[in-house]
Amino acid sequence: MSRKTLLVIAAVIGIGLAAAPVAFQMFSRAPKGAAMLSDFKPFMTTQRLDGFQQDIGQINAAVNEVDTKAVPQLETSADEHANQTLATYRSMQQQWPQIDSTMTTLLDKVQANLGNYQAMAALPSFELFPWFFVIPGALIAVLAIVGLLGGLSPRPTRIGLGVIGVGLILAPVAFQMFDRAPKGADMMSTFKTIETPHRIGQIQSYFATMAVGQGAIRNDIVPALQSTGSTTQDLATSYPATTALDASWIHILNDMTPMIGAMSDSEPRYQAISSLPSFKLFPWFFVIPGALVFFVAIGAAGDAPVRRTDVSEHLETTEAVSV
Amino acid sequence: MSRRTTRIVLSAASLAIAAAACGGGSSGGGAPASSGTALVGTFHITAGRCTGSGAPTGSYFRMIDANGTLANGPYFENPDSVCKDKSYSVEIPGTDGGLVTGTFQPPPAKAFDAQGNSLADRILETGTFTAIQFGIQTESTDPQSHTTVPAPQIFDDNGKLTGQLEAWSASWNNQYFNQGSPKPGGAMPGITSPVTGTYDASTGAFTLSWTSSIVGGPFNSFSGYWHLQGHFTPSS
Repeated sequence: MSRKTLLVIAAVIGIGLAAAPVAFQMFSRAPKGAAMLSDFKPFMTTQRLDGFQQDIGQINAAVNEVDTKAVPQLETSADEHANQTLATYRSMQQQWPQIDSTMTTLLDKVQANLGNYQAMAALPSFELFPWFFVIPGALIAVLAIVGLLGGLSPRPTRIGLGVIGVGLILAPVAFQMFDRAPKGADMMSTFKTIETPHRIGQIQSYFATMAVGQGAIRNDIVPALQSTGSTTQDLATSYPATTALDASWIHILNDMTPMIGAMSDSEPRYQAISSLPSFKLFPWFFVIPGALVFFVAIGAAGDAPVRRTDVSEHLETTEAVSV
Repeated sequence: MSRRTTRIVLSAASLAIAAAACGGGSSGGGAPASSGTALVGTFHITAGRCTGSGAPTGSYFRMIDANGTLANGPYFENPDSVCKDKSYSVEIPGTDGGLVTGTFQPPPAKAFDAQGNSLADRILETGTFTAIQFGIQTESTDPQSHTTVPAPQIFDDNGKLTGQLEAWSASWNNQYFNQGSPKPGGAMPGITSPVTGTYDASTGAFTLSWTSSIVGGPFNSFSGYWHLQGHFTPSS
């Protein structure tokens, strides 16, 4: 293959690489990925995720306690008002098994992906990703075109292309992309069932049910039990989980509300980056063009340089044909 | 020739990179047109009072669940509401007596206590919402969207009130929820409705109502319905 042909191939690869972020809408999508990772950062620690599991466990213990002790006691109470106090709690009582199951499963999934998240977060910022294509792509294209037009002698053109090719091959290795990108892909795959408008709406609804249910326990059921003669100390002894939930409720709200906010805010961001090609392919988006450009550089070494007169003659011929 | 060509190619490459970096445009809404006389002063708020059932008298707030409507709900029931119908949370005037137009009523420098209770109590007294106090404020930069917003404006057109309350923001649990109409930037998402009301110039009696859908955060797509009433006092 002639040096000219090889440089044309290099130019095409360069233009393709530089244009890839535009084709994949990376300039709009990649920053959303960066924002999503940033949204989740405060919550993606073992301590915080364990804390969420404990929050759900604490609510579960209190609901079970209320269901098995307080509800029967108030249902059989001669005091009609005491029975009425259960009305608001009923929704929580009915929905809790589903809420508990869904939230626990969701948290298990997120917790299982902690390592994948950390691997993804350890990659260079997503905001930079488009430039990882544009800059080497533009450099390759410029070098090849300038080399074709005779603006640069063959040797520096070859060296330049060779260096960029090797750089592209080594970049995924340097950033541990072969290890981290598939983990990111796994996380994205898991989050596919979490970051949906339906699921987010469901979690918001669950949160509302939990808030109303806890309010019913705090404002209706506990006072109703006290009205039957139980002192605060009695209730603390008889209803330890309920008492603990009341004491922890504000902490639980402080803990869970921002996480629900992050999940909600991340939903459109997730949709944007899930539209990108699979993360598993990303290392190859560097290695394959890098290898091609490297081979072009090697191949061009064995061919005669393109002389400026050749180009002029070619252009003159082309113009003559056009006329 | 070669240097010139190189410069041209490099310039073209630079332009291509710059062009590639340019994002799309942004969609903008538009604040509803307001006409009439600007009422600049304090809209003193009459405290809400629960009734046996239905809407309280005076000023109150309701939260509509995501995808709900003002007419049919469903409504978020505030367990700490003092009303029998817990979808209503009555409002009590804050230290400024109510909403001041033409200026901002920001929260104190420390906007929340250690438990996430709002300390913004100039417009309305903080009220409890699921165990945590929430407050209302107006600031030149909306704390949720980080968008610059104008000071509240209300206009009287022969007894009919219109205006913009982009800066109206709720604070709760260390978080902010814009509750203005239109939303910061002028959009009217979800079931956000324009600020409307009535005004009796002879007595100063007013009503103001609007709905504002939350954009972002844990209550994304939930909406707040605000009904304020009281009397207006022009600033001197």
